[in-house]
Amino acid sequence: MKAFIVAVVAAIGLAVAAMYALTSNQRFAYQAFATTGARVSEPGTNLVGEKWTGDPNTNDKSESAHGKATGEPSHPKRS
Amino acid sequence: MRRAVTLLSTLVVGTTLLAAPAAFAPARAQNPITQDGQNPMGAKPTADSVNEEFLFKNADKITGRVSIPDKKSANLIQPQGREYQSFRERYLPWIGAAFILGMIAALGAFFLWRGRILTDDTQESGRKILRFNAFERFTHWMTAVCFIILSLSGLNYIFGKRLLMPLIGPEAFGALAQWAKYSHVYLAWPFMFGVAMMFVVWIKDNIPNRIDWAWIKAGGGFIGKKHPHAARFNAGQKGVFWMVAGFGAAMGVTGLMMLFPFALLDINGMQVMQVIHALIGITFIAGILAHIYIGTLGMKGAYDAMGSGKVDLAWARAHHDLWVEKEQAKTASGPQLGGRHPAPAE
Repeated sequence: MKAFIVAVVAAIGLAVAAMYALTSNQRFAYQAFATTGARVSEPGTNLVGEKWTGDPNTNDKSESAHGKATGEPSHPKRS
Repeated sequence: MRRAVTLLSTLVVGTTLLAAPAAFAPARAQNPITQDGQNPMGAKPTADSVNEEFLFKNADKITGRVSIPDKKSANLIQPQGREYQSFRERYLPWIGAAFILGMIAALGAFFLWRGRILTDDTQESGRKILRFNAFERFTHWMTAVCFIILSLSGLNYIFGKRLLMPLIGPEAFGALAQWAKYSHVYLAWPFMFGVAMMFVVWIKDNIPNRIDWAWIKAGGGFIGKKHPHAARFNAGQKGVFWMVAGFGAAMGVTGLMMLFPFALLDINGMQVMQVIHALIGITFIAGILAHIYIGTLGMKGAYDAMGSGKVDLAWARAHHDLWVEKEQAKTASGPQLGGRHPAPAE
């Protein structure tokens, strides 16, 4: 039983370590695919929001939002 | 005078009515489609326009143009994707159900036919021998726990929306599927690590030899009451070992190809990897179901080997007689028998 519990704990520990290792190299789509001339999407104003929660407004309130775009926000296109 | 005015007005109106069609003629000439949709020139603009068939004659996929760095996003239609989707949505659920339910049915039928495999009591009954040490059990259980979660979350990819979502609703299923996906992606790492460790720890006892062939010819003890000779692992267990090593490696490689999209393969390659991953995964689950059956319900005393690590000496003698002799030969006094601190099997 002890070996089983240690095995479960080790599996969870390795999984969490893998999660941090993998997510540390992840970038949002607007970071990975944006150039100075084209922006794929803008966090906080897209349809799903920065955190993909479906609520774009709540994400803007958190100051420490990971990967938040810096600089002047672009205005929606008129045409 | 009044008559002249009336006549003049009539002439003006009549001339206007006659001249109006001629005035609109240029506009009609530019748009020759008449009101009923028939083109008087015989042309069929809709039928003659650029379509999929025409575009596929020029290239194997239809692409557009994008200005962002990711040029793959310009891909609009890829016919191979339809074949993949057809497999994924039409054939895979049936293949998966047939394999897994077929294995469960086969195991059920075997249990009804053979019953639980028991071991006759001997004078050695009640004494214990260490079969798997703590590290071996740790390795086994870490891999096993990960495998069960990976199996359930993997089956959710195939059957979840068909079987689970109608039961629990889309909101609950969405949350469940999201966490299942997280567990699938992250528990894959301890699983791969566990498979690698098991391979290193147990390979020396799993090299096929002549004893295995004799074990297979004798029916492995499943037929009749007599158990054929076996060393630490019999041919059936060696089969499970090599299945786990081979399928585990294949699942790891194909999974990594999907975990790091476009790192080595294009979209076609990743779809092929997903097909292989799914087919091997289903076969893997079916094989491990048999392993779980024989390690628990199917054979009395088998679970103790991975539970406490110690098995009944009479059981070990019946199922792994050559291994018991080897272990006892290591120590002249046979310290593995009986005592509170059994020596490790290795």
